[in-house]
Amino acid sequence: MAAGFKTAEPLEYHRSFLKENCRPDGRELSEFRTTTLNIGSISTADGSALVKMGNTTIICGIKAELANPTAEAPGKGYIVPNVDLPPLCSSRFRPGPPGEQAQAASQFIADVIESSEVIKTEDLCIDRGKLCWVLYCDIMCLDYDGNILDACIIALLAALKNTQLAEVVVNKETSVPEVDLEKRQRLHIHKHPVGASFCVFDDSILIVDPTAEEESLSTAHLTVVTDEEDRLCSVHKPGGTPLSGEKLQECINRATTRQREIHKLIDKVLDSVKTSQ
Amino acid sequence: MPTDTKRVRGPDVSQSPFLFWSRPAEVLPSHEPRADGRQRDQVDVRPVFVRCGLVSQAKGSAYIEAGNTKVLCCVYGPRETERKDETDMKSGRLTTDMRFAPFSCPERGSWIQGSQDKDFSLMLQESLQPAVCLHRYPRSQIEVNVMVLENSGSILAHAVTCASMALADAGIEMYDLVLGCSLRQDGGSYVVDPTYPEENSWRSGSREKRGGLTVAFLPSLNQVSGLQSDGEMAEETLTAGIRTCIEGCYKLYPVIQQALIKAVRRAAPPAAES
Amino acid sequence: MRWLSALTDNMSPLRLCVPGEKLCSVEDCSTGTGVYQRHGYIYSSLAGYVLRKNEGEELPVISVVRETEAQLLPDVGAIVTCKVTGINSRFAKVHILYVGSTPLKDRFRGTIRKEDVRESEKDKVDIYKSFRPGDIVLAKVISLGDVQSTYLLTTAENELGVVVAHSEAGAQMIPISWREMQCPQTNAKEFRKVARVQPEYLEA
Repeated sequence: MAAGFKTAEPLEYHRSFLKENCRPDGRELSEFRTTTLNIGSISTADGSALVKMGNTTIICGIKAELANPTAEAPGKGYIVPNVDLPPLCSSRFRPGPPGEQAQAASQFIADVIESSEVIKTEDLCIDRGKLCWVLYCDIMCLDYDGNILDACIIALLAALKNTQLAEVVVNKETSVPEVDLEKRQRLHIHKHPVGASFCVFDDSILIVDPTAEEESLSTAHLTVVTDEEDRLCSVHKPGGTPLSGEKLQECINRATTRQREIHKLIDKVLDSVKTSQ
Repeated sequence: MPTDTKRVRGPDVSQSPFLFWSRPAEVLPSHEPRADGRQRDQVDVRPVFVRCGLVSQAKGSAYIEAGNTKVLCCVYGPRETERKDETDMKSGRLTTDMRFAPFSCPERGSWIQGSQDKDFSLMLQESLQPAVCLHRYPRSQIEVNVMVLENSGSILAHAVTCASMALADAGIEMYDLVLGCSLRQDGGSYVVDPTYPEENSWRSGSREKRGGLTVAFLPSLNQVSGLQSDGEMAEETLTAGIRTCIEGCYKLYPVIQQALIKAVRRAAPPAAES
Repeated sequence: MRWLSALTDNMSPLRLCVPGEKLCSVEDCSTGTGVYQRHGYIYSSLAGYVLRKNEGEELPVISVVRETEAQLLPDVGAIVTCKVTGINSRFAKVHILYVGSTPLKDRFRGTIRKEDVRESEKDKVDIYKSFRPGDIVLAKVISLGDVQSTYLLTTAENELGVVVAHSEAGAQMIPISWREMQCPQTNAKEFRKVARVQPEYLEA
């Protein structure tokens, strides 16, 4: 009757595992779920990636469009990231405009892009003050089983690395852009930010890469984003129980090793995509 | 224009680079073979890849890939109905939601559901409803959510097939599976399971006898549960087209059956015999 | 896995089917679960294993079963396990977690009215002395309810009522009579409509 215990007393059920330093799915406390990547499978997007972390599945598609730069930043383009949690991915989401969680995730991804400088908006400038690229980065959850932020960042990074922009020349006489979709160039990726998320159980036990159930039972959440130079891009802890500096350092250390693993994984998958083409 | 405060916004106006692509317009004669090598005027459907049970959170799910068309469908419920009226007490309600990912078409789509998505949702609901034993689910609703990840033509037909697989995977009682097939008529010639470019370009000059057709079909009961057509087609062309689509559905049937049986086996291997 | 044992009892080879498949004529079998009748034939309504079971002299019963038992909905007469979510002087609101021993994937709400708490002295029932939010209760479905209401449940049987309850101190209480439970930490007694637990539910 373990299943009965699990539904009736979920918190006690989890505690009984944590006491033994393991988790109901058999992982250790600092173990991530198996992460797999599929890059460039959507041919209608300029760049795309599908990430699976355990059951959690996130797809990111990037569409590039042309626009006028703003007067305040004539030499810059736009990056527009949006996270969508459609009712398809979990019974907890209802149809309609994005809920609080989706809005918070979109803003978090936008902040990570800005603070990590994964790509420079200057690179998206085509003709200063006149024409630039807009990168619409649409990130969608297809299966919600916790820790979507980490998966969103990986999907975004892999999709950006897969993105190729068409060659654009602005005709000097007519000032009409001329696009050649057959000549394409890769984006320049400056930094590789990767996130690691944690949950705090009973104010003291730290677990990494929580599932949806672990997220709902924990007392605090924390996401740390680092890049390849071990620089902190973002530390995101929305409320919850306090965390000691010592524990935070532990999280940062775990995040830097995670960054290396994922960076390697993305490069490996990109290589296999290139050679198969 | 109302501003969307719940999303990260880009510039007010942006344009697809396709608009500025100065490629000479290709004019293809009517009787050339299809771009992907399939035959015209024959029941030549794209081979499909199908899988059930990919989404952990859903009661049932299915994924279908035909050429570059990629559709995912999840089924939730039966759960307590949200809207309540007398009919719900006796039989369940089937709700459908069909959406296109913003990157699923050559032109970027909006996040906000357009009227097209709502039309598709309704057609999907009408095609599926006759096949579901709703009287077995009083006070409940069954939710069908379809996400188009990439639209490379015949989207409604594949959404219908995918949704009926997801319903079967969810263990929802049904009278029969529902399979979908599309056809594009252009003058005296037609293409079955058209791709996106085939749906959006015309070969012959005349406006007559041009149109599209999607049939939803219950293969075992031999009944048509949904029919959608647009354009101008003569009566005999339309009936011939429906017959062709039904033939297309029968080509799909064994693949769908196998995928469902595989999913049942995977969930419970028949080890009980030993 | 109750159905697995059902499979071993039955000697016919395992056959798999999808919804809409014709299984046999109504003259050969009578209908079980996961199937329906149409024009003198029996068809499958599920994707699953075909099961033929002989019961005495009559026609064998044909059913289609899946890895999980067919989607159960709370039905009249079913014993359900639920969690109390709110109480007032007239009724207790509950979430139904299980039908029999099958967990429900989605939550269904139910109501236990004051008059359905116990068999005797119905007029003297006090909801506050019968249930508390958070209690796990065994109940029976008496009606699917009407448009406004939710499922109507009853605990008016000795075997029905509170099976798990926590005291104000937070410890799991021990039943001491049909109307009282005791906290093992503080020895404080609290009132409940206690179920006389049948052995098969004890393990839970």
